[in-house]
Amino acid sequence: MADLIEGVNPTRMELLKLKTKVKLAKKGHRLLKEKRDALIMEFFNILEEAKGARRQAEARLREAFNALILAQASMGVMKVTQCAYAAKETPGIETYTRSIMGVRVPVLELQETSRSVIERGYGLADTTSQLDEAAARFEEALAAVVQLAEVERSIKLLAKEIESTKRRVNALENVLIPRLEATVKYIKMRLDEMERENFFKLKRIKAIMEAR
Amino acid sequence: MKISVIADFDTVVGFRLAGVKEGYAVNSPEEALERLREVVKKENVGLVIITERLVDKIRGDVEKLLEKRSFPLLVEIPDKAGPIEKKVDPLKELVRRAVGVDIKIE
Repeated sequence: MADLIEGVNPTRMELLKLKTKVKLAKKGHRLLKEKRDALIMEFFNILEEAKGARRQAEARLREAFNALILAQASMGVMKVTQCAYAAKETPGIETYTRSIMGVRVPVLELQETSRSVIERGYGLADTTSQLDEAAARFEEALAAVVQLAEVERSIKLLAKEIESTKRRVNALENVLIPRLEATVKYIKMRLDEMERENFFKLKRIKAIMEAR
Repeated sequence: MKISVIADFDTVVGFRLAGVKEGYAVNSPEEALERLREVVKKENVGLVIITERLVDKIRGDVEKLLEKRSFPLLVEIPDKAGPIEKKVDPLKELVRRAVGVDIKIE
């Protein structure tokens, strides 16, 4: 049997209070269970995305590195590095948050990665087409990596939320509700016992009075 | 917000070509951690790209550093030698913790 809640007087007032508490706990338990199930469903949806995003990013990066090695071979490492320093900066990312079942997850939006050869900012006179190729591949890879970052963070946050929701569900189910119910039962029995005692006292007194 | 790259030299050069100017070429995981500390202090960095090989050795410190913040996000990418072998698949581990069962993800 579950533990009783300590320091509760076996009175009718306490009984009423406890009964509403049990009702509330059960309602909360049901709601949390539903939340947990919905979160798990979302989790699996995003999991699919995450698997795809990682594969895609890895493939894009592989291509990008191959292109970079070719560029370095055709122009020399020094020259490629120089060009890299000359390249113009991208506008960066916009960040905001979106809510999935009350979990705030980040959204990253990359502004315009793919650029034309002229927009990149390095000179065209003494660079090879392999360098353009490498830059283009890295621009693609960057987009894939940003996407990956967003999805992976989302799934981590969701997993955390599922864990804490599960913990709360279990705490209610296995600790709080049984405890409340046990206490309700205890108070009921104490009250019944007191009533029987009173009844017996009356009978007994009556018998003694009549015997006189 | 800006993107920042902490990686080996070639990766940094590659992303520079793609227009990510905040690239730090580092040679050791300790140096990477140092750089990451600096980057985290800046308010305008939204995403840090770091290579798996670097982050693998300093994972504990990195997690501690980023635990309480929502930004920057950290994303691990393979370097030019390809993805590293991991003892546990992080995604699989996540699923196991969240759902409580091992499911097969190919």
